Amino acid sequence: MLSRVADSVFWMARYMERTNGMLRILRTNYISSQDEVKDFSWRTLLRNYSDAPAAEVEAIGNNSVKVLHHLLLDRHNGASVINNITRARENARAVQDHITKEVWQCLNDYYHLIRSKEIFEQVSSGDPVTALDSLIHHGMLYHGTVDITMARGEAFNYLNIGKFLERAVLSADMLNIKLTELDYDLQSPVEVTALRYLLYSLSGYELYLKTHRGNFQTEFVLDQVIHNEHFPHSISYCLKQLFRYFERLETGSLPESYKQLEFLIGKTMNSVKYSSLKTSDSEGLKNFLRQIRQELLSIAAAFNQYYFGNS
Amino acid sequence: MEGSSLLNDYNIPPRVWDEMFSGKGIRPAYRNMVAAIQDLSAAEMTHKDELAKKLFMSQGITFTVYSSGEGIEKIFPFDIIPRILEAAEWKHIEAGIKQRLKALNIFLKDIYSHQFIIRDGIIPAKLIYSCPNFVRQMVGVDVPYDIYTHISGIDLIRDHDGTYYVLEDNLRTPSGVSYMLENRSITYRIFPDLLPKNNVCSVKDYPDLLLKNLMSLASRQKSDPTVVLLTPGIYNSAYFEHTTLARLMGIELVEGSDLVVDNHKVYMKTTTGLKQVDVIYRRVDDDFIDPLVFRPDSMLGVPGIYGAYRTGHVAIVNAMGNGVADDKAVYSYVPAMIRYYLNEEPILKNVPTYQLADPGHRKMVFENMPDMVIKKTNESGGYGMLIGSAATEKQMDEFKIAIEDDPRSFIAQPIINLSSAPCYINGVLQPRRVDLRPYALYGPDGIDIVPGGLTRVALKEGSLVVNSSQGGGSKDTWVLEDTDE
Repeated sequence: MLSRVADSVFWMARYMERTNGMLRILRTNYISSQDEVKDFSWRTLLRNYSDAPAAEVEAIGNNSVKVLHHLLLDRHNGASVINNITRARENARAVQDHITKEVWQCLNDYYHLIRSKEIFEQVSSGDPVTALDSLIHHGMLYHGTVDITMARGEAFNYLNIGKFLERAVLSADMLNIKLTELDYDLQSPVEVTALRYLLYSLSGYELYLKTHRGNFQTEFVLDQVIHNEHFPHSISYCLKQLFRYFERLETGSLPESYKQLEFLIGKTMNSVKYSSLKTSDSEGLKNFLRQIRQELLSIAAAFNQYYFGNS
Repeated sequence: MEGSSLLNDYNIPPRVWDEMFSGKGIRPAYRNMVAAIQDLSAAEMTHKDELAKKLFMSQGITFTVYSSGEGIEKIFPFDIIPRILEAAEWKHIEAGIKQRLKALNIFLKDIYSHQFIIRDGIIPAKLIYSCPNFVRQMVGVDVPYDIYTHISGIDLIRDHDGTYYVLEDNLRTPSGVSYMLENRSITYRIFPDLLPKNNVCSVKDYPDLLLKNLMSLASRQKSDPTVVLLTPGIYNSAYFEHTTLARLMGIELVEGSDLVVDNHKVYMKTTTGLKQVDVIYRRVDDDFIDPLVFRPDSMLGVPGIYGAYRTGHVAIVNAMGNGVADDKAVYSYVPAMIRYYLNEEPILKNVPTYQLADPGHRKMVFENMPDMVIKKTNESGGYGMLIGSAATEKQMDEFKIAIEDDPRSFIAQPIINLSSAPCYINGVLQPRRVDLRPYALYGPDGIDIVPGGLTRVALKEGSLVVNSSQGGGSKDTWVLEDTDE
């Protein structure tokens, strides 16, 4: 497979995963903004998903509709969902002969959907949840289409590598966003609602209830998001899947390239596995999340260098 | 026909050949199709029209308009009423195109080697050497099987008496063939059963024929040569076509930056190292293909690819330098080429063409400007063109000045009244002007022309310009099976 094609497929998957993650966190945040009486702030989220100047972010921080507009539909915000979808589609366009026609059409429809008048009106003056739901559903359609139509070849491997790498980054980020909102103060019991919303965003709330039977403890939440190997959004699970698809590349790879990546992925897996996190040690938690994020980004950089030919 | 609301308001302009109606009624080729649609209500027709638009949009069948920021992709307007050709008409066209291509191909071989045609005084040397698309670097290059024009799209138009004329030979990188394929696939969605009932010839063999031809050009005796399609990238107006063809042939779609040349061999960069490329179907123009030989500022090409081509390590399709044969001034000599190289009379007519470098012609054309079409010899896509009947005094004066400055760059032709075909526009069936571009594939085993082609439509009432960049659209084109055989 052409290096450029692998690169594009990888990024297409990353943008789609990021889109899904953003849509979900926007949905739960929006609902919680309607639910809570005390003043709800979008600032932490904005800091992560907006490249607008701080003053501008500050100005819209308490206006949910404006925030949604900015994060979903604002073309001037480089990190907005519409820009993610556009980029995913641009990447797909450049590799149309390596993804199936169905996947391309699905992405193309997604692009037309988010540009549609309906979505715009729902977000501006209707019910934003309806808009978010239809976007989330279309994202699911994409995942299903990939699963059902794509051949299990190289393109599929890079697609999954991109997907799980991005998902791991997202889970680390979202955990960080929630903990930052709580100022990393995990001792007091008020944080329960915030963590519940975190689990909603990661579609992990039901699993949590089943596992812990309503016993809501911050430590358990952290454990699920970081270590639970049955939770598809946990960092551990994502790394395991990432490694699984990476191993399939071994036969064709240049031995040197393979060794480099194997080392980096293995190292990150171990950093996650052999970590013990205490809610009392907020500094340690902060550093851990920062370190994991850094290691994930080095994996991406190594793919870029050794497999996509961009040194 | 009586009582059919669809056909009642169909008024053919005077002195225009209509594809569907003759003076005596509906032409035989259209009878079945008209019978099937004439009882449909306006609502049903409009529904079909909308379905077609939706299918194009969701499949991303779009072309890109240069220089217009966001929303740069547009769907190529599609008219749902097919254009229909009878078997006998098609045979005539097919024979004419084959003859023409044979002659043009020998001409290219000749002009880039011995130049007998110049020595024998058939074509003036000045005309060839002043042509900006004559590529000196191609002189003396050995081209596999002596084939230059592997893929061509010949533009045909019809005068008021129904005679076919060749308007242009597109021998460089003709586009539009994917629309021929997609239009057909839309037709069977919006008119179920209509195609088999009418015995319409299939066009779906095109990608297979093309791939077969491309594979046969590989220089090494390899059972499985690597064939790639070289595209300028996703911002090219025909990018959709490039991906469609690559997908239908199952070959790699590459950009210039994916290829490298080492020791006169071309390789593509893959995740598992370099892989040699044997045949390149390029959709990048001559000027941009190799910055070391042609335009040095080109970012689309591959440095060194010309050298690899010259040494025979890679085959490039179409050959470089074909522009000298489809130059609009050289065009007027094609009938002479057919007589000279093949000793045959041309089957398809040329539109009479006046070289404006000739002072006598220039005078005559200036006097009759309202009846003339003036074209720049090296432009296409409907740019650099003046249609006398629709031009203002000011535009005509501007053209006169430009022509006096550089007469070699202009030709003039009498205005040919393009034939009209029925189009479904705003809920009414209306005549609009059309042309026809069949696609010919020239391989070591001969010339194949898939029965069909692209019918382009000038969607504006009365307009004669069919180019997609100038408000043109397209139609599905049916060639009916010969039922006597």
